[in-house]
Amino acid sequence: MVAKYYELGELESRAPKLFGIPTGTKLDEMFYKIEKEGDKYVKKPLGGIPHLAVMNLTGVPDSGKSVLAEQFAITQANAGYKVLFVTVESPAHFLYTALKQKSEALGADFSKVEENVVVIDASESEELRENPRALLDTMAYAIKEKKVTNVIIDSITGLYEHKEMMARQIVRQFFNFLKKWRQTGIFVSQKRSAQASESAEAAGGLAVAHIVDGTIVLDKKLIESRWDVSLYGLPIGSVLRTIRIDGCRMTGHDSRTWVFEITEFGTINIIAPLNEYIKRRRVGKEE
Amino acid sequence: MEIIVKPKGGNIDKMAEKVFMESINILGGLKKLVEYRNLTWLPSLAEAAYVVVLKNEAFKTYGEIAKELGITEQTARNIATADEEKVIEYIKGTLEEKPNEHIAGGIAKLAYRKLKEEGRLEEGEEVVMKNDEIEVLGIDWAVHALVRIKGLDFPVNKEQLEERLKGLVIKGKKAEEILEKLEYPIKSPAELLHKIKEHL
Repeated sequence: MVAKYYELGELESRAPKLFGIPTGTKLDEMFYKIEKEGDKYVKKPLGGIPHLAVMNLTGVPDSGKSVLAEQFAITQANAGYKVLFVTVESPAHFLYTALKQKSEALGADFSKVEENVVVIDASESEELRENPRALLDTMAYAIKEKKVTNVIIDSITGLYEHKEMMARQIVRQFFNFLKKWRQTGIFVSQKRSAQASESAEAAGGLAVAHIVDGTIVLDKKLIESRWDVSLYGLPIGSVLRTIRIDGCRMTGHDSRTWVFEITEFGTINIIAPLNEYIKRRRVGKEE
Repeated sequence: MEIIVKPKGGNIDKMAEKVFMESINILGGLKKLVEYRNLTWLPSLAEAAYVVVLKNEAFKTYGEIAKELGITEQTARNIATADEEKVIEYIKGTLEEKPNEHIAGGIAKLAYRKLKEEGRLEEGEEVVMKNDEIEVLGIDWAVHALVRIKGLDFPVNKEQLEERLKGLVIKGKKAEEILEKLEYPIKSPAELLHKIKEHL
C-alpha cells in the first residue's frame, strides 16, 4: 500500500472557507472569527454554525434538541438550500406537521421548505435503522440526486441504541461520510439524565463528542427549591432552559451558558447569558 | 417534501456474495479449487463472507452476527479477527504449520479489503465471476441457501426449511428432495450446509 502524506501548502486549495450556516437563532452570533482591521484584531460573528462542520446537539429528553434541529432545517430550506433530514425517532408525517407549524411561526415560506427538505424515514424501517451501510447508501443517493448541502440526523443515538459499544464506529462512519460529501451536519444525540451536565458525558457521551467538530449542549432545570427561586428569580415549578457551545474545533465561540425559551409556537428564542439573566431578574424583582 | 422510506443500496446479501466470489478468486479461481478437490471449503467461506460484511458494513456485534447466522459468538469473533497475512502465507505454502487462525475468515477478510480498496464493494456491478459460470459449476448453492434462510431462528425443523428453500436447485437436485434425507432438528446454518453437502 502506498503511504499518503501531504505538504501543508498542498492543502490550501482543499481547505474549507470559514463562514456561517445560519440556524435562525442567536447561536449564529455565538460563533465568531477573528479578523484584522487596520492594526487591530476584531471578533466578528460567523453568522451560523461553521460551514462543513459536523455539530453534535445533545441534551436530556425534552430539552429542545429536535426543535433546534428543525429550526435549522427550516432556516436553510427557506433560504433555498437543500436539507436532508434523517428522522430516526419521529415518523416522517409527524416531522412534516412540526416543520409546517414552525415555518409559520418563523415567517418562512412553507412551499420552499417543502421543496427543499428531503426526508429519510428510518423510524419505520428496521433495515435503515439497524444497517448503517444501507442508511449511508440511501443518504448518498439523496445527496447526489437532490443536491443536498446540509444533513440532520435526529438522532444518531437511535442508530446504536441497544449496542453502545459500537457507538464510536458508527458515529465515525457517519462523520466521515458527511466530510466526504462536503456537508454541514447536525447530529442530535441523547444525553442520559443521570449524566451530570458538567461531565464529559454531557457532550453526548465519549463516543460522539470526540469525533465531531463541536458540541452544543441543551439543558433544563426545574425550579424546585427556595434556593432556586431566590437564585434564578423564577417561580417554583417553572423550567429554566439553557444552551451552551461546549466546544468547536473549527472556530472561536462564546463559551457562556445562555438562557433560552421554547416559544408557544415551538421555536427557539435565546435570551441572554445566564449571569446577565439572573442579574436582570433580580433587579426586576427588587424594583 | 420528498420522503424516502426504503433503503437504496447497502444490500448485505449482495455484498457477502461479492466477498465470497472474490475469496474464490484469491484462492486461484474455481478451476484450481476443483483440481485440488477443495470444494469442501465453500460453506465455511460463505459463512465467513457474511460475518465480515455484517461486522464491517452493518456494524453488527458478535452476538448479533452469531444469532443471525446461527454460529457461536466465538466463531464470529475468530472469523472477524483472523490474521489475513498469516492465512495468505499458509495458502501460498510459506508456512510449514497450519496457523492458529480461521482460514476462511482470513481469506474473506482479504477479499473484503480488496473489494473495499478498489471501490467495488458498494458498486452496483455484478459479482466478479460470471454468475453463469458459477451456476454451471454448481457452487453457488451455499450462498443462495444462506440468503434464503436469513433471519430463521435455529434449531429448525424440516417444514421450516422446506418453506424457505422451496424451488432451489442444488447441483441438479431439488432442495425438497435433499431435505427429505436430512436428520432434524438442524442446529445451525453451518450444520445445514454441511448436511446438504453430504447428500449431494
